[in-house]
Amino acid sequence: MSKNKAQPPSVVHKVIMVGSGGVGKSALTLQFMYEEFVEDYEPTKADSYRKKVVLDSEEVQIDILDTAGQEDYAAIRDNYFRSGEGFLCVFSITELDSFQQTVEFREQILRVKQSDENIPFVLVGNKEDLNDKRVVTIEAAEERARQWGVNYVETSAKTKHNVDKSFFTLLRLIRDKKLQEAALNTQTNKKKDKKRRCVVL
Amino acid sequence: MQAESGGNATPTNIITPAEAGAHGSSPKRGGSVSGTSDSGRGTPVRHVLQHGVSFVEEEKPLVPGIPVRAGSLHTLVVLAAHCFDEKEGEVITDKREFPRVLLLVHEWFITPKELVDEIIDLYRDCESKISCSVVNCDHSPNSGQCTRQQLKRKLCLFVRFWIDEFAEHFHANEKLLVDFQRLVAEEGQPDLLSLVDTSSMPSYDWIRSISVRAPCRGRKVSLVFTNINPYELAEQLTYIEYKEFRRISVFDFKLYAQTTSLKNNPKLERSIALFNGLCQWIQCMVLSKTTPQERSDVIVKFANVAQRLRQLQNYNTLMAIVGGLTHSALARLNKTNSCIPPEIHKLLAEYTELLSSNNNFSNYRKALAQSTGFYIPILGVHLKDLILLHTALPDRVEGSTGASMINFRKMSQLSQTFNVLVQVHKNAVPVEANMDLINTIRLSLDLHYTEDEIYELSLAREPRNSVSSPSTPTKPVVFADWVAGVSPPNPETINKHVHDMVDAVFKNYDHDKDGLISQAEFEAIAGNFPFIDSFCVLDADQDGSISKEEMETYFIRANRNASGNALRSSFKHDFHEKTYFQPTFCSHCTGLLWGLIKQGWKCKDCGLNAHKHCKDLVVMECRKGIHTSNNTLQQLAQQLKSPTSTSSPANLTLEAKRKMSMRQKRTTYTKGTQTNPADICPLSLDVQSIPYADDYSLQNDDDVNDLAQENRSLKAKCQCQQEEIHMLQNHIGNIRQHTISFILDQMDTLHMQRDSQV
Repeated sequence: MSKNKAQPPSVVHKVIMVGSGGVGKSALTLQFMYEEFVEDYEPTKADSYRKKVVLDSEEVQIDILDTAGQEDYAAIRDNYFRSGEGFLCVFSITELDSFQQTVEFREQILRVKQSDENIPFVLVGNKEDLNDKRVVTIEAAEERARQWGVNYVETSAKTKHNVDKSFFTLLRLIRDKKLQEAALNTQTNKKKDKKRRCVVL
Repeated sequence: MQAESGGNATPTNIITPAEAGAHGSSPKRGGSVSGTSDSGRGTPVRHVLQHGVSFVEEEKPLVPGIPVRAGSLHTLVVLAAHCFDEKEGEVITDKREFPRVLLLVHEWFITPKELVDEIIDLYRDCESKISCSVVNCDHSPNSGQCTRQQLKRKLCLFVRFWIDEFAEHFHANEKLLVDFQRLVAEEGQPDLLSLVDTSSMPSYDWIRSISVRAPCRGRKVSLVFTNINPYELAEQLTYIEYKEFRRISVFDFKLYAQTTSLKNNPKLERSIALFNGLCQWIQCMVLSKTTPQERSDVIVKFANVAQRLRQLQNYNTLMAIVGGLTHSALARLNKTNSCIPPEIHKLLAEYTELLSSNNNFSNYRKALAQSTGFYIPILGVHLKDLILLHTALPDRVEGSTGASMINFRKMSQLSQTFNVLVQVHKNAVPVEANMDLINTIRLSLDLHYTEDEIYELSLAREPRNSVSSPSTPTKPVVFADWVAGVSPPNPETINKHVHDMVDAVFKNYDHDKDGLISQAEFEAIAGNFPFIDSFCVLDADQDGSISKEEMETYFIRANRNASGNALRSSFKHDFHEKTYFQPTFCSHCTGLLWGLIKQGWKCKDCGLNAHKHCKDLVVMECRKGIHTSNNTLQQLAQQLKSPTSTSSPANLTLEAKRKMSMRQKRTTYTKGTQTNPADICPLSLDVQSIPYADDYSLQNDDDVNDLAQENRSLKAKCQCQQEEIHMLQNHIGNIRQHTISFILDQMDTLHMQRDSQV
């Protein structure tokens, strides 16, 4: 897996792009990965979806799994989700269906992640540049995000508006969760040494 | 040499005719380089003039031969024609890729008709717009040096190349070349005409017809899941996959990449439905088994199937199988997993790694690159490549003069993916089809479940071991009730598959060829369908054996119900007049159906009985063969008369148990003295209270044997149930233990907190 020779920038955060077809998942991915150099993009290379980024002055690698083209392969979605550490759940603000489908995606992710409500997750309303065709209001989206306890970001892959923000918000969540888990592990280990059982409430 | 640009030729801001060999694999005919301009990303765009047409130059060409980045259709066709050597009569070896890529991917950008029209225009223009390099040339067909004749021949060679390499294009549209052939024929050059002849193409009938029957060896295989050899299963799955895969054209892929929807894309939809169906079928086959050991046996079997698929290099089906086996609905079954032998665990881990999405599926891509001969790529992975490529690069780019040009860079990138996808067309499938098995498999795969339903079943099989979620009782799942459609295939397809499958079943299992399947045989076949109803439900007329019509009706209706559409509610009873040989009661008024013949009306679909005057008043919805209460008695009694009816349903549901107990009691009446029919109604359901061994007055030993056998099987079931009760009791014990330890933990914490406060 991580047998990359020259560049081992410590941490890899695995992000999965989910959302129904045609909401612009791939456009967001490509915009974030390549910006205007998208002509150099080669779909089949192993590192095509890996990028070094500086997250709060720390160098990390982001690994994006774009589920474009897999939307209709419903049966193995589950298997894709399992490898993810964080999820960008994308819908199009011009398409009500895609907004409704986010509920399904959220449920499936929670199931795969053993109902872990704290899984790093960002709700993304894409195609913000098409505001005149908007059918999903900001309020509705924010309300849903509030219910789930997640962040909501409106983006435009076309104008690059908030693209970095959505990814970096998610990266921070993933990082924080990893730190938290690491702390928890050492804690429980210590407790175990003392032969005390610990119950986290 | 330089030609005046024909019809829709591109820009002409390039001018200086100049040195050939300006770039690497430069063409033998003159080329010219000039001008820089914007567009793209910062790097200068260089226009190149070759063969009288100009194009944007590619610095690092993906396709060897001609370094084109973008050009008009006219340009591309002219360049392609010049990749052929008219003297040798074939393509120039190191330029072979260029025309191939153009033909392979052109459907993404233009229709085949547009391409043909461009060739026709060019061919026509040879007479007028192409200047000839030969002095005083009469442009006669015999003039080998004439530039016009040379170009004509090149164009015909290009078309010949098209026919040879991509015959499927012409089968999809037989009229495609007609205009061009007519044009060539008018010139009266037989050698050119023979080049563009399409009459001797290999046959590709399968592209149009949705299912062509392959020659069947006529060997017999078991259609029963437990007896199917995993290798045989893998091979037949490969055959099915191959058939679906080959039908998908470049255009279908393009449509999907553009719309990301399966609407109006039936071929791709079929392939994806097959994938999902397979994936879920595996989960259902595993979850239909009641004990962990049985479930692990099914998993082992599918792992062996996967092994054979790997050998066959059928990555797509392998992905579906491994995806099904590692799905969280199965992965969470700890008891089952502990029964799986370590070598199978290892095998599955190996395949999971091979197909993992890590590093952009690099393991799979490596394996694919090393695959030679027949293989089937993972469609989903390549669809993703196509969609991203489509998002990244525009189809057309603007030239310096503002003319729209075909983005050849995209064409060559696409061609790399399509090379993989069309490889399937080039090699014969290395397995032999067995249509009987294929039809059975297909029908098994057509059943639709939702993820939630499968997961629920998984939870019911092995409840979560946590205190918070007590075990859900395993409710009996009846095939037609539990299925809910994801995207039901169209009824015609279903009907066809059902018909084929039923044919296959009868061919293999109806040994005496009387068109009827006995119950014992049926039970074995039913193993393929995890949630099929019991025998008596399929046997609609309760004559003790299943006819073809009964089986077809059952499957078609089950599928229709499964799709949960409006049909279900509007489903009307289908009554026909019937003569009963047993006292029978009306479902509506509960009165006896009087008379000697044609006493009442019976619904063909659900077996409901009614008086003639009652039949239109029946309020009960017509449900596929689930008979309850009073009429069940009648039907079960009739069924008992058939000597072949020994009952051994795989999963004993409550319903089945009840039926059986009723059958026991019924025996005492039908076989014993003629009892007043009115007495039958208020039967209690308590089997034990009836000493059925005593008052038998059986006529022959056969019946005794049958009943003894049934008795034995019932005892065995009883034991099973007791074991299950035992298991559940154990489970309750576990939960109690968990609860206690949880409370103790809490107390512990409180103590700790108090300690620290003190």
